[in-house]
Amino acid sequence: MLYLQILLNGLLLGGLYALIAVGFSLVWGVLNVINILHGTFIVLGSYIAYFAHLYFGIHPFASVIISGSVLFCLGYVIQAGIINRVVAAPVLMTLTLTFGLDLLLNNAMLIAFTADYRKLILTDSLGSYDLWGLILPLNRVAGVGLAALLTFGLYRLLRDSNIGRAIVAVRMDREAATLMGVRVNRINAVTFALGALMAGAAGSIFSIIYPISPINSGLFLGKAFVICILGGLGSVPGAMIGGIALGVIESYGALFFGPEHSTTLAFVILIALLIFRPTGIMGRKGYE
Amino acid sequence: MKKRALFTLAVSTLFVGLQAVGGSSSVQAAEKTIKFGAPLPLTGALAPEGIKIQRGLNLWMDTANAKGGIKVGNERYKIKIIYQDYQSNTPRAVQTAEKLITDDKVNFLFSPFGSGATKAASGVSEKYGIPTIASTASSEAVYNQGYKYLFGTFTPNITLTQPLTDMVIAKRPETKTVAILARNDFFPLAIANVMKKSAAKRNLKMVFFEKYAIGTMDHSSALVQMKAAKPDWIFATGYLNDLILIRNQMSELGVKVPVLTMVAGPAYKEFIDGTGKLAENITSAAWWHPAVRYNGKGVMGKTENFNKLFKAKYNLVPDYAEASATAAGIIFQLAIETAGTLDHKKVRDALATMDTETFFGPIKFGANGQISSLKPPVFQIRGGKPLVVYPDVIKQIDLKFGIK
Repeated sequence: MLYLQILLNGLLLGGLYALIAVGFSLVWGVLNVINILHGTFIVLGSYIAYFAHLYFGIHPFASVIISGSVLFCLGYVIQAGIINRVVAAPVLMTLTLTFGLDLLLNNAMLIAFTADYRKLILTDSLGSYDLWGLILPLNRVAGVGLAALLTFGLYRLLRDSNIGRAIVAVRMDREAATLMGVRVNRINAVTFALGALMAGAAGSIFSIIYPISPINSGLFLGKAFVICILGGLGSVPGAMIGGIALGVIESYGALFFGPEHSTTLAFVILIALLIFRPTGIMGRKGYE
Repeated sequence: MKKRALFTLAVSTLFVGLQAVGGSSSVQAAEKTIKFGAPLPLTGALAPEGIKIQRGLNLWMDTANAKGGIKVGNERYKIKIIYQDYQSNTPRAVQTAEKLITDDKVNFLFSPFGSGATKAASGVSEKYGIPTIASTASSEAVYNQGYKYLFGTFTPNITLTQPLTDMVIAKRPETKTVAILARNDFFPLAIANVMKKSAAKRNLKMVFFEKYAIGTMDHSSALVQMKAAKPDWIFATGYLNDLILIRNQMSELGVKVPVLTMVAGPAYKEFIDGTGKLAENITSAAWWHPAVRYNGKGVMGKTENFNKLFKAKYNLVPDYAEASATAAGIIFQLAIETAGTLDHKKVRDALATMDTETFFGPIKFGANGQISSLKPPVFQIRGGKPLVVYPDVIKQIDLKFGIK
């Protein structure tokens, strides 16, 4: 039973991890931009959910729409107005740019919200359900369900919509896409905005699980990196698999080697993967 | 030609301007000041704690300055605290402390946050012979380095865990087993280790003892294992972020236990806000609590007065970290006023022989510089408030058991 419970915990954690990474992976894969802002976007989403709940009593699962929309707009403006100017430059340039933007946004949040940890507390918390001795933390289950829904939505969008196909086309071959009449700059902005939207939505869901503080942005970003490399860059299924793999590995790592070394195990596997399969579990050239 | 004339004009204006600035600063200098250096983690992971210390120090500085400052012999000096942010990065804390001493030429120094950074930076103040007060370092390893210039306002960690253990066993004799989950960090691990000692001393069986890494985002595996071990007492250490997450996950995973102790977080209002009803019945210990009552010397006077001034300035109830920072300032002031000079050696001697009482508690330092006179209170969260259960003199409520 212990093993089963830990597997369940790992899967739930992995579902949340996948949501952290999916937007980050999309932006990295399509734009070749390593978006250091991603962690801060997630925290911003959490704050939106926190204040929406505090002042208007909106449930964080409902405020996913608000935080997603706000972050989508913010992401669009940042990409269209700033990052597009250097998007074709070597990756170090865009990395430095997003790093700088992250410092600005994160410190602005520190000033606006202070570094104090806050936590959104639901008055009608779902509690947990005992399934033949297996404990299901229902808030988390619902959060992961919503995360899966959002991720699936993004997946369908990329596969079935015109804009999605254009994003995939840019990911595969920027020049060819331009020649085919794809407005690359606009697609860049939409892609970045979608990445930010996913981060904002993740933030809303996380607000009922994690304490909220601008300080946490680094934690989220670190996980996003690991998951992308585990799962493979730029694909939605890759981020899913990477996230779930990391969640399960960390959970069993904590059981077998002690919680102190749960992340050690994850990193050992990461290094092994980088040596033997540098594209990640699901990674391949091209997209979808 | 015209250009050159303009240039000359600009330069001379600048020069005059500079002189004016210099002039005004020399006017300011006529008002004598004592400079205190405070390397603090004002940004980064420890920013909430750093800001607390800054609040405490500022309250001391403003209150003391409003009353004319520090009296040295027959003269009065204003207090000036120079803050330097070390971004929660311990090696940088050491550099920052050194910079404050050599560049800013501070007269006295406050230590950085926590035992780890305090220990690292204490070598610098010792090297320059600058009297230094640590307001948030409790581990004995910090003070047992044979240093002469370091003083600390926190008693050793065992003074927190021992009274707590004695009390839990006295009130609930069927308590037999304990599980410890500790953040792998200097203070949280040190307090977990002394808890282990306190438990062993009272023949409690250790059924689980694990560390978790800094930045851990999930405690479910550890909690599930703990639950399987069915302890009577769970003792979890860490900082706000960790402890809020642990408490929430305990509830999610249905971990119930008669006694739950968390250090250090429950003393902070943010912890109670962040856990809501789940905070109920959590016990903790800290070096100070707003319910203590001391008839203090120095600018703050009695504990009630400190609470009132703090509330007036920040609209907050002070916690032990903030109180300790204010106390550190007052201790410096009392020592300087006793010594009647700014001489480092003499102020150091005044600190070493100090025997007085402040709003924070009785102040007397042991031979190693760590305070020996303080009796840290044990408290329990009840109805959303931390209330004192020990020592009996200031007890507000009886200890209750059961965590759901």
